[in-house]
Amino acid sequence: MANYYDLDDIIAEEEIVSVVFQKEVNGVGIDPSSETDCVKPGSKVELPFWLANELHLRQVGTMKVPACFNQKTRLELGADATCVDLRSRSPYFYEFGCKIAPLVGDRDLGSFLLSAFKNRYQEVLAKGHSAAFSAASKCSTLLTREETTMYEAAQSSMKAFKKWRMGGPRFQRASILGRKRKPAD
Amino acid sequence: MAGQSDPHLSLFSAEEVEFMAEDEMVEIVPNMRMDPLNLLCGDYGPFFPQMVTQVPVWLAIALKKRGKCTIRPPEWMSVESLTRILESERESQDSFQVLPFHYVEISRLLIDHARDDIPDIYMVRSLVEDIRDVRFHKIETSLESFEDARSSAVRIKNLSAMEVNIVRPFVGRALQAFYKHGSPDLVPNPDKVPNRWQPAADPVQKRPLRKR
Repeated sequence: MANYYDLDDIIAEEEIVSVVFQKEVNGVGIDPSSETDCVKPGSKVELPFWLANELHLRQVGTMKVPACFNQKTRLELGADATCVDLRSRSPYFYEFGCKIAPLVGDRDLGSFLLSAFKNRYQEVLAKGHSAAFSAASKCSTLLTREETTMYEAAQSSMKAFKKWRMGGPRFQRASILGRKRKPAD
Repeated sequence: MAGQSDPHLSLFSAEEVEFMAEDEMVEIVPNMRMDPLNLLCGDYGPFFPQMVTQVPVWLAIALKKRGKCTIRPPEWMSVESLTRILESERESQDSFQVLPFHYVEISRLLIDHARDDIPDIYMVRSLVEDIRDVRFHKIETSLESFEDARSSAVRIKNLSAMEVNIVRPFVGRALQAFYKHGSPDLVPNPDKVPNRWQPAADPVQKRPLRKR
């Protein structure tokens, strides 16, 4: 399991999942469409993952596969994985997918995530160490949180190396810079 | 051992790698007479004028700055040797040529501090740059292929300290991600209907370690 204090892990669990209630629940106001504080069996509610997970453990509700892993996304990722804007679908696409894969009973989800990551990894690798820093912002808007950390790690280490190679204080001072300027008269 | 510049990551900065490279030995020709230096890291000298002796790079640079010696650039830093290495780097797409582990740092240190001791210094500098570029491109292509294998592994020989240091943060994160997504827990067993959360996957499902 991920670190308890990991902020990314906490935010990833905020993603919304739709839950179908199997049992009747009294005294909770989590279904905004119902008039009483009571959730009927079979009603469908959008809940954050951390709550849906607890309900799932108690067999109160079942989760549905969230929209960001639907067939359309899978087809797009299959066609050209590097161009798909995964960040707008879910910034925590992989983490969320890993969490939800064992719970929704979708056996393809795990391998789908792996293949998506594999295909997009090459793009991150190619851009990360070589891209000009001005072009960086354009492609990094498509990346998920996990890919962005990888990308930034590559960029910062390459930048640090280039800075070292240029070497700040070791530059030779041009002889002309040392001379005093003649007073203009 | 981890770098000191960033307490959160176990990474080295380029300056720290350079610091480690300064322990490599290099030949100098002193122009003064001096008793041997008995230091914790070893004994160097005695120094006699025109007698070649071996000292670490940091000592050579310190003496050079005071005008007490000339540095003899190592064998591999000659134009012929570098040209040969560059050609064979370009010819073989898969393998890396054998170079000193700290060749990037040592060549930079010597070029910065002992420019009058290196013949054809501009040629040497651009050859080292070319070699580094060719090698780094090869590293990128070989890293691309490491997700093809089922084991998420790649074998790259003869990398130098600086090259490893550049790709280390990226490769570390990428390997972690591949490990996470490739774990067999993510593909549940079809026989069991996953109605309940299963605390641990079947040990049989786990990928067996490769035998050595």
